[in-house]
Parts: sequence; C-alpha cells; structure tokens
Amino acid sequence: MSEERLTRPDIAEMAGTSALPRKSGELVFHNEWERRAFAIAVSLAEQGQFEWSEFQQQLIESIAAAERDDPQNPGRGYYESWLESLEAVLRRKHLLSDRAD
Amino acid sequence: MSEHDHDHHHDAPANPYHRSDRSPERDEALTERVKKIEALLIAKGLVDKAALDKLVDLYENDLGPLNGAKVVARAWVDPDFKRRLLTNATAAIAELGFGGLQGEHMVVVENTPQVHNVVVCTLCSCYPWPVLGLPPTWYKDAAYRSRVVIDPRSILTEFGTTLDDNVEVRVWDSSAEIRYLVLPERPAGTQHLSEDQLVKLIDRDSMIGVKKVQIS
Repeated sequence: MSEERLTRPDIAEMAGTSALPRKSGELVFHNEWERRAFAIAVSLAEQGQFEWSEFQQQLIESIAAAERDDPQNPGRGYYESWLESLEAVLRRKHLLSDRAD
Repeated sequence: MSEHDHDHHHDAPANPYHRSDRSPERDEALTERVKKIEALLIAKGLVDKAALDKLVDLYENDLGPLNGAKVVARAWVDPDFKRRLLTNATAAIAELGFGGLQGEHMVVVENTPQVHNVVVCTLCSCYPWPVLGLPPTWYKDAAYRSRVVIDPRSILTEFGTTLDDNVEVRVWDSSAEIRYLVLPERPAGTQHLSEDQLVKLIDRDSMIGVKKVQIS
C-alpha cells in the first residue's frame, strides 16, 4: 500500500462532540465561511502557531456552552462554535489585532 | 458527489449541532467575521488563499485506509486482539487509537478458506471511514450496490478474485448503525514478516472484501 497520508489524524479523527461533521466519511460544510474557518484553524496549527489540543479543548467547551440550555436545540452550529474557538485562541496568541505582533 | 449520495434518514448526521438552520443574515455576519480574520492573517503573512484551498481539498479527500491495515495486521499477529476484534470490533479498534465514529458500531467479519465476506451499502454509501478513509467511487455506484447482492461472484471476478465453488460468499449490508470491515486471510509465506511489513501488504479493497491480500 503506497498511499501516504497528508492529513493529521489528530485533526481528521477527533472524537466525541468535537468530531468533524461528516456524512459517510466526507466532510460536511454548509457555507463557504465554514470551509474558510476550517482551513484557517488547520493551517495555523500545522504551522505551529498553536497546539491542536489547545484549539480542540476550546472547541469542546464552546460546543458544550452552545448545548447547555437545550442539548437537542443548541444555540449555534458546529462551525459557529469552531469560529468562536478560533477567535479565542487567536486572541490569546495576540494574532487578532491589527498590530503586527 | 454522485447522484446516489442523496440525503435520507439512513445517512443523516447523528448530532443536532451538525445541522444548519441559520438565516441568510446570520450567515452573512459570520462570513464577514471569517473574512476579517482571514484578511488579518494574510496581512501578517500567516496564510494565503491558495494554501487554504489546497488544505480543505486535502481534508475533503482524506484517504486513511492505513488505520484499517494496522487493525488487520495486529489481528494477524495477536490472537487475543483478534478475538476481541471479532467479538467487539468498536472497542478493539479503539484500543489502537482509532475513533471518531458518531454512533455507528463496527463489526469485523473474518475470511477463512471456507467463507469469503464482502461489504456493501445497498441504500447509499455507509462506510467505515475512520479505518478506511473515504469510499472509492465504485462503492457508491448503483451497479456495485445492487449486483453484489444478487451475484457477488461475478462482481468479485471483475475485481480479479476467483473463489472455489465450495467457498461460501457472505454479503454484509452496512447501515447508519453498523459498519462492516472484512478481516482478510493472511497470505501463505508471510510468517517471517513483521507487523509493520504486514501493514504494507493490506489494501483497502481487501478490507471491503472484493480482493484478497496478495504478496506484492
């Protein structure tokens, strides 16, 4: 077998609530912004701007917060929680300001 | 995406937070938020549009049958693991660190000199993706999905797999709840190979059951 895997299993195969939404294995994006938000987070983690585990922990908390009131009818979707988490991690890394720090 | 890859209850996402029920206005606001982040990061030289597109492409077409090959190789060298795999595949596969299933159970069926197993999803394209990656195109084709049930031997012949008349062929229909994986027979003459070397012999098609593992 010669297929070399180019994706990171710790991202592609997250378990539990943080698992990437999939349909028969294929990623599900409802809008283009979801796709962009996915790519930005993965790209920055692959560059080592932050640890994937840090982002994932933030994502788990964000999803839990969205489901707190009504688990069957969360206040926001998966990639909205993803975006919240991305903003939070970037803020901690001082990457969300206009200054070139 | 094929015409058969339609939405129906059988394949619906198991979790409510996967659903999109946003208003166009809300999506517009979210689009602006993401654009702002992207523009900022582009200005800092941390991302570029082409690289992001390529990345999404990679993850959308992620092929990970290596996980399944590791499961099979372990079962070949470790009889205790094989026993656990055949009695509770989901738990045994999790032992190797492979998960990400959303409520589906894994069932592993063993090929023997008397029995050959092959997997299909007659309704759509249910597939054990955490161990096999994305399904091949032919797996989703109506031709494969219907014919393998009616005449599995002729399908297997087309894949170059000829079975003796006395071998029983069993066809397993995957669903949203149960995903099947074939444990192929270990080829003769591989007793000297290490587990890592065995992993390299095991390909996707042998774990769907349309081929046997060959010594390459």
